[in-house]
This record gives sequence, C-alpha cells and structure tokens, in this order.
Amino acid sequence: MRRRGASLMLLPLLALAGCGGIQTIGGREGREAALIDDLFTLFCIVTGLFFAAVMAFLFAAYWRRGGHRADRMPDEGATAPRDRGLRIALFAWTAAVIGGLMGLAVASFLTDRSLAYSTAAGRPVVSIELIGNQWWWEARYHFPDPSQNFRTANEIHLPTGSAAMITLKANDVIHSFWVPNLAGKQDLIPGRVTDIVLTPTKVGRYRAQCAEYCGLQHAHMALDVTVDTPADYARWLAAQTRPAAAPTTPQAIAGYRFFMTRQCSACHAVAGTPAGAGVGPDLTHLMSRRTIAAGTLPNGTGPLHAWIADPQGVKPGANMPYIGLDADELHNVVAYLETLK
Amino acid sequence: MIQISLFPVLAPARPLAAIRKAGVTNGRETEGWTWMRHACLRILRKPSIAAFMLLCSAFAAPLAAQHNGARPAAAASPPEDGQWTMPSRDYASTRYSGLNQITRSNVRNLKLAFTFDTLNRKGHEAAPIVVGNMMYLTTPYPNHVWALDLSKGGRAVWVFRPHPAPASQGIACCDVVNRGAMYANGRLFFTTLDGEVFAIDAKSGHQVWRNKIGDISKGETITMSPLVAEGKVLVGNSGGEMGVRGWLAALDAGTGRLAWKAYSTGPDKDVLIGPSFKPYYASDRGADLGVHTWPAEAWKIGGGTVWGWISYDPQLKMIYYGTGNPGPWNAQQRPGDNKWTTGVFARDIATGQARWFYQSSPHDLFDHDDINEQVLLDMPIHGRMTPVLVRPGRNGYMYVIDRRTGQVYSAEAYGFINSMDGVDLATGRVRMVKEKAPKEGRVIRNICPTASGVKDWNPSAFSPRTGLLYVPHENMCMDEGVFEANYIAGTPYVGADVKMYAGPGGHRGVFTAWDPVRAKPVWEIKESLPLWSGALATGGDVVFYGTMDGWFKAIDASAAGGGRLLWQVRLDSGIISQPVSYRGPDGRQYVAVVTGVGGWAGAIVSAQLDPRDPTAALGMVNAMRDLPGRTKPGGTLYVFALPK
Amino acid sequence: MSSPFRNSFLPRALPSLHAGRGRGWVRLSKRRFASLAHPPLAPPLQGGGFIALAFLLALAGCDREQRDMNGQPKAETAAFVPRGDPRSAEYENNAFHIAQGQKWFGWFNCSGCHFHGGGGMGPPLMDDQWRYGGRMEDIVASILYGRPNGMPDWRNKITEQQAWELAAYVKSLSAHPRQDALSARADEMSNTEPQTLQERQKVVPETKAQPSGEEN
Repeated sequence: MRRRGASLMLLPLLALAGCGGIQTIGGREGREAALIDDLFTLFCIVTGLFFAAVMAFLFAAYWRRGGHRADRMPDEGATAPRDRGLRIALFAWTAAVIGGLMGLAVASFLTDRSLAYSTAAGRPVVSIELIGNQWWWEARYHFPDPSQNFRTANEIHLPTGSAAMITLKANDVIHSFWVPNLAGKQDLIPGRVTDIVLTPTKVGRYRAQCAEYCGLQHAHMALDVTVDTPADYARWLAAQTRPAAAPTTPQAIAGYRFFMTRQCSACHAVAGTPAGAGVGPDLTHLMSRRTIAAGTLPNGTGPLHAWIADPQGVKPGANMPYIGLDADELHNVVAYLETLK
Repeated sequence: MIQISLFPVLAPARPLAAIRKAGVTNGRETEGWTWMRHACLRILRKPSIAAFMLLCSAFAAPLAAQHNGARPAAAASPPEDGQWTMPSRDYASTRYSGLNQITRSNVRNLKLAFTFDTLNRKGHEAAPIVVGNMMYLTTPYPNHVWALDLSKGGRAVWVFRPHPAPASQGIACCDVVNRGAMYANGRLFFTTLDGEVFAIDAKSGHQVWRNKIGDISKGETITMSPLVAEGKVLVGNSGGEMGVRGWLAALDAGTGRLAWKAYSTGPDKDVLIGPSFKPYYASDRGADLGVHTWPAEAWKIGGGTVWGWISYDPQLKMIYYGTGNPGPWNAQQRPGDNKWTTGVFARDIATGQARWFYQSSPHDLFDHDDINEQVLLDMPIHGRMTPVLVRPGRNGYMYVIDRRTGQVYSAEAYGFINSMDGVDLATGRVRMVKEKAPKEGRVIRNICPTASGVKDWNPSAFSPRTGLLYVPHENMCMDEGVFEANYIAGTPYVGADVKMYAGPGGHRGVFTAWDPVRAKPVWEIKESLPLWSGALATGGDVVFYGTMDGWFKAIDASAAGGGRLLWQVRLDSGIISQPVSYRGPDGRQYVAVVTGVGGWAGAIVSAQLDPRDPTAALGMVNAMRDLPGRTKPGGTLYVFALPK
Repeated sequence: MSSPFRNSFLPRALPSLHAGRGRGWVRLSKRRFASLAHPPLAPPLQGGGFIALAFLLALAGCDREQRDMNGQPKAETAAFVPRGDPRSAEYENNAFHIAQGQKWFGWFNCSGCHFHGGGGMGPPLMDDQWRYGGRMEDIVASILYGRPNGMPDWRNKITEQQAWELAAYVKSLSAHPRQDALSARADEMSNTEPQTLQERQKVVPETKAQPSGEEN
C-alpha cells in the first residue's frame, strides 16, 4: 500500500514533462500561443480559486457538521437555514460564481477576437498553403509573382515578427494542423479551405503534429516548423526557389537515371528535372530537411537507405510502396538524393 | 427538333443589352438600327399591328438588303478558280466558293454524283482537297491519303500509307482525327498522328520528304492541317491535355528542314519575341512573360499547343493563329496569367518573330483553346475600312481584331455565356464571373459554355455576297470539379472531372448567320445535336453544313432568307468534316462532304464509349448519350451535283 | 479483500433501476454476488463476466483482415503473367486492394484516359468488352507491359503490387464484385455515383458458333 501510494504521488511529475521542449502546449513562442497560454493561466487562477474556496467550504461543512442520527444519516434539522449570515454568504457566493464565469467568458471572447484578427494591415505576410495527405504535409509558398512559388514537404520556415497566413486544405481525410508552441489546432477538411495565422516571436525549432486521427500512420505525421530571423528566412527562401543542380559523380548520375525512368518520378517531383509528379513529397531540397517520412526518421544516409529499401517496414501502410531495389540501385538512388541540398 | 428563329421579329432585345454591356460603340449607326428594331417590337404588341408591321418592314427591308461592307482581304483571297487547294479555301479562311451554278432555287435538285468509302471508321474531320481533276482525301489514323480521279468518276488512283506509330492512338485526346492536307507547288503536305510532316508528290503519290517534329513519349501528337505559304510549311503540335509544351514550327517546303520554331510558353527567345513585338494591351508587355506568369517550371509542361487554324496576310506578310489551353485544366495549380496560352499571335512568316499578341482568356479556367479560325476581312470600323480578323472565339465572344496592331474593336457574345461577363475593350481583358471558377475539392455547376466552348475547331465560312459569317456551333453547359493533377510524361495532365449537358433551350447545336460589322446575329437555326462540321458558303447564296446524326443541309444564305432550309439528305454517318465545293472536269459545280462521326463530341460512337460514366471523354459522353442511337460509325465521301 | 465499492456511495436515486430494465441486472448480481452483504445493486464492474466476454469477441475481430503491405514480388518478371497466377485470388474482390487500386487509378492518370470506366482516349473499362482479355492476369499484363494501340507500359513506373491492386479495381468496375468489397465513396467529385450504387452490365452469354453457310 505504501509502495503504491508512493508511485501514485510521482505521477503528477510525468505531467510536468510536457512543460518544455519543441512540442508543448506550455510554449509561448508565438503570439497566438501566448494569447492562449494567458487565457489558460487566467482560467487556472480563477477556477483554482473557486476550487480552493469549494474545498474550504467542504471542510468547513464537515468540521461544523451538526448532530447525526443513529443510522449515521445527516440530520436535516441540525443547521439553521434561515441564518442571515449564511444567506448573505450564499448570495455572495452565487454572485462570485456568476461574476467569475462571465469574466472568463469575456476573456475567452477577447482572446478569440485577438486570434481571429491577427494580421495588422500593411505588415508583410508570409503566404503558405498547407495540404494534408495521408500521411505527410505539403507546403506551398505563394508570392505575388507566381514564378517564385515553390513547394516543399513536411517542413515550413517562418520569420519572426511577421504574420504567416496559412491556408489549409486536405486531399483525402480530415487532418489537423497543430504546432502547440505557436498556436492552437486547425482542421484540414477535404472540400473546404480553412486557415490559421501564426505570428512567431522567438527563433527556434518546433514540432507540429497532425491532431486528428487520419489513418494507420496518423502518429507519424509530424511537421518541422523552424522560426528564423528575417535574414535567415530570406536565405532559406532563396535556396528553396533554386532548382536542383545536376549530379556530377557517376553514382549520382546512375541514381538520377534510375529516378527519372523508374517508379520515383511517378510520384515525386524534383524542380529542374523532368520529374514533375505531385502526389508524393517534393524532393528538390530533401537534404535541407531534418527528418524524412514526416518526422518518422532523422535525415541521413542510413535512414534514407532504410526508408527507400523498405518503406513499409518503417511506416506500414504509407503510400510509398516497396519497390524491391537491389543493392546497387539503392546506393545509386541515395547518392543522387544526397545531392538534392 | 429544328427551329428557325427570325431575330428581327421573335428574339428578345438581347443583342441590344449585350452591346450596351460590352461598351461597344460601333458608331451611332448600329445603335440607331437596333433602336429602330426595338421600337418596332414594342409597336407590334399594340392592337393596330398591320399598319405598323408595314412601317417596320419598310425599315427592315433596307436592313436586310444593305450589305455591311465587309469583304475578304484582297491579297489573301484570290479569284475563284474552281479548285479547293487548302481546307480554308484561301489564306483569308473564307471557305467560300464563288461558283454559283447551284442556287437557292435549284439546290433541291442535287443528286449524288459518286461516293468513296475510306474503309476507316474513326472520326473524319478532313476537308477534301481538289486540284485540277484530282481530289485528295486524308483519313484519320492511320492517316492514309487517297487520290481520286474526278474525270473517272472519283476512282482511286493511288493511296499513300505513312504508317504512323500505333502507340500514338493512346495519346490523342479527342479521337484520332486529321484535318486535311494542303496542296502547293505540285506537292501535298499533311501531318500524321505520331508527329510527322509529310510532303508527297501530288501526281504520283511518292514521298518527297518527311520530318518527325513531335515526340509521342512526351504526349505530343499532330492533327492539324498545315498551312503552306512563302515556301514555309507551318505546323503546330497537339497535346494540351498531356502536359505538352506547345509550339508552331515552320519547315522549309522544299527540303522539310526546320526553319524556325516558336514556342507558346517560356522565355522570350523561345517564343520568338523580339524588338518587333508590339502588343496593343499593357498586360502583354514585359520581358519573359512566358516564364513570369507561371509558377516556376510550370511553363515547361504548360500547354499552349497550336492545333487549329492559321491565316496569312500576303500583304502584311503576317500569319495569324491561336494557341491552345494551358495545362493542367486545374487552374489552381498554375497561378498567373499563363502567357502565351489561349491567345492569338501575329507573326512574321519569314522569321517567325512575333508582332503582336492578344490573350482571349488570361489564366484560362475552362480549357478554352483559342485555336479557332481567323477570317481576314476588310470592313468598316467607325466608318473607315480597316483590315481586321474576325474570329469566333472558343469562349463565346466574336472578336474583331485589327490585323496590324492587335486592337480589339468588338467582342460580342454569339452564344450563351454565364461564366464571363464581357470583354473590357479598354484593357482587352475578359471579365470572369467569380462564382463559376472551378475550385479544388468541389463541383461548380452550370458553367456555360462548356470546355468545348461555344464553338470548337469546326470552322465557319464567310460569304462576300451577303457579308455574313456562317458559324456552326454549340449550346452546352457543364459541371466541373477540379483536383490536383499528377504529371507523368506521356499521360494525361488534366485534373478535372467534367459533365456536360445541353444549354438553355435544350438544343445542343446552333447555326448562326452573324453580321461581323454590326456585331450581331442575323438568323439562327437550332439543332438538337451540337454542330461539329465546318460550314461551306457558295456563290449561289447557299450555305452547307452537316449534323452529327448524318443530315447534310443546304440553307438559304441571305439575310432576309432567315436561314430557310432548302435541301437536306441523310447520309450513312454523322458529319464532322468540312464540306467543299469545286468545278468538276465537266464544268459542273460539285459539293463534297465526308461522313464519319467522331471527334471529341462523337467519340461515344467512334470509340464505343460507355454512356453510364458521365465523365467519360472529358464529360462529353453525358451530353451525347443519345448519339449511338441516332448514327453509327462511318467514313464515306459523298459528292453531289445538279443533274446534267 | 475489501472491495472499494462495497460501501455503496450510489445515490438513493438508483433504486429506480429495480423497477424497470434494471431488474435483470439486479437478479444476476443477486445470484453472483450474493456473498456481498450489501444492497443488491450491480455496479458496472460487477458485470465483469460480460465485459470479459465482449472483450474476447472484439479481439476475435482483430485478424479478420490481413493487409499485406509489402506485396511479394516474384523473383523473375516474365514477359507475360501466366494464367492461374495465385495472386488473382488474393487481389480480386479484396476490399483493401480495391480501395488502394481506386486511389492509384486517379494518382497514375488512368482516369485521364479511361475516366471513371467510360473511356475516352482509352477504351471503356466498365463494359464487358475486353480487347486483350478480362481476367486478372490479363489486366495486370496490360498494365505492366502495355498494349500495341496506345496503352503505355507501366512496369517501370509502378510496382507489381500496385498493378495487381489496379487490376482488382478495374475488374470491380465491370464484373460482379462483392458489394462489401466495393468502396461506398467515389474518389472524385459528385459527377459519378459510388460503385455500390452503379448497375452492373449483365455479361451476355455468347451464342454458340453457328454452322457456316456454303462457301465457294
């Protein structure tokens, strides 16, 4: 009994594990997250006070309980319902509850309005279209000059200080975009266009997660969100708009040939090459990403080999099929992919 | 089933409203005449009709009899010689035969002179070519060319078999058609489905040269009829539904070698845009617009194919042609104006350098290829004779454009349109209706006109005698849902599910006589099925066209005639080809037409598609479900003449 | 061991359960837990046997359908797919494979030429006319190796498993598939009906060959 009690007391510490890190609801690195966090704090304080008050009344009631009958049922006649002090306290308590609830409602309403009218007129806005697929994210950056538009997958970069207007679409089932450090959740619904605004305030790296069950690999559908300084962001944009360079080493050239003539180019696109398919993630700047397969594996030679050799072993049910490459083909393809910086 | 509506009497004042909406000020003359007619209509509703009818007819008669002053460009339309050496009849694309032996009074006596079965049962779109005593007919895939001797009753003398690659049948969007050969300097020039251009000797049928300029592995085919002028053979590619990059190539007529190639998308050096390029409208000015009005790299698979009609002005030495739709059909994948697709180019024929460009549908949403014919006319604009080209646009507007500069003088709707709201003549830009723009993830319903437009490739004809343009076209609407298209080279790159059906009124086809100067219809014939055949105008004031269920009709061409049906005959299969008229070896006037239903609208018959899938054939199957019950596949040449 | 729920904290309202539908419960609990000297109310967990039974039944449904993610490609790829390939039985009429095939049909532009079975650039797939054979093996061969009159070869563009799944879907367009294997949702905008609502064309039995007339 004592052992069980001890372990039970340690349980709350586990909850504290969610307080820090790259994917935490306690994060305040974006304007929207800060607003929600403030509201949450207010709720905690107000409801905490009421909870404390209720507990206090409960103890007081038990302490001050009147007589009891032989069968241990409370004696209704023990307290005096017409006690004036008690009635005042009752009214005061009701007023406090109403006031508290209304206060919370108003605070919630104001927070919602702040979240909805996030973009200040005239400030530069980053325009991203995020499309949810089973089980990966496609990000398309839009610019007033359409020839600068580009696509990437499973990652977005945002500059601090600017509002990022993200339009959300889904190709198959309902997904949900959730980067807790920066904002709340917003669903991606097939046939509808929803949107969310992120205004990051702190440079750093954060992890977004699909927050609506969408099938077998819902758990492995993460998105890398990197918040840069405006200068770094501009550098990243410039790198992303460049098409892929042609491979030079013989192994990479063999891999390029395999990519263009075999199954790879039926689903993946690499800008600047004949591969222009859009049903799979864009691979033009694959090596600039930290993870592959929507956050399932870290990016690197080993994981790339593992993923391409047997994607179904890593992420069963994913739409990347098992192709059955032999060893040489596998090495060639990975060598080519590693040139896609 | 066939309704003839007389516009001056029965139609509502639609043209008046349309003119007002489009802001066309075609001189006070136009408004005056229309006001007069409007006044007549109101008067007619009053009890004392008879007297006022007399009054109105007094005004109407001069309206009908007065010629509008339009005539074909002189340099581009040589005098009548009784031949038909190119599908468009002449460089001005009049499709008019000056022969007048067949008149309105004797056309009902036409008898069958001879027939010829091509043994091919796919869609026949070609025009028979007549040179001297010989007639040349190209067939759909496998693109045989038959030479018939007219002095021997149409007996076949030789056949040329080019043996195109069978795999090309799988990438032809709209039946494996061919629109005809062209005769020049003793040679016949024609194209094959797998992207080759042939020159064969017209007398012997022997090959002079061949040149493969299209690549079927990229999805390119060629179906058009080449235009030969100034020693150049002009040919463009097809494949706007296959993620192909469009181009127009000029081959040397003597050797077949490539002289120049003008792409329809991409940097200015590929599009042959240089210092002589002076577009009229501001939105067409800028450097490398063929790159900057597309997302990165999208122009490489952007469409703009050139598969339709080319006209040539020998005086200005300029060719005029239109470019096809941008790819994919899902416009959300290609933000930007998508230059230089769905527009009209004017180029210098010797070098291919562009002179001007006008984009009928910037950021095209509806597959409105702009490849329709341009009829080169000289006609009065604001009282002055102006060299213009008149083109019935696919999007439903009849454009009158200055041949020298590209300025649009008028753009009136000649069919029912609800997805666009007129053309702003100041900027040249068409006004799109936002609610009708297709969006990913949903179906937009009741978009008029359909993807095949108010008129597809089938060409109209102009009669210098009446000054009217005879336009065979459609009246259909569609539902469209778009989704992300996946690009795999050699496979379709469309991204749309379409379902078509008849437009307002329930009739799917219309034959309109259009006055290009007054910019309004004169009379209309409603047809049950869409009209997919060309029109033929003749000097006897008779116009001919064919229906998709096989009726070949002769109509009174005059404005006062009201589109009266003079003669018709039911042939073995639907007609989607271009009728021609020529003077035979015996001096009689002959009218020739080829049957063989097919093409995009008739694919349900020629390819035996399944009517249970309404989206089949890009939505056309839903609109043509009754066609298999009304006609069958065919492929026969019919030649008619008056009895001796 | 003392049950934490013995000293029943259930409110007095619960006796109403006795009156109506709860009676069966009460009786059962009385019988099974008569040893407990307390009100004959059956707290939910005391129906533990039911729950265990239900749980076992649910578990039994777990392996109702095996999904083979990897596919088993053959060691050698012949230039044709022989009749009697055992994969025909595995893929035909399998709900998962038909659904996957429906997805590939749109992804790999099959619908660009064949639309939703009606045909266009390519022949219709929802009727019973098969140019090159209508069995699963024939369809897979058509897809993987192409056909002379325009069907491209896909053997380098898709995997064998995807080809079999496509064949399963194509077959379901025209044959008489199991209704519970078909997808109840069309994978495109509401211009066509889902397969479960489409009529199937009766496969017309061929008439026997007639004896030929006199030939010279």
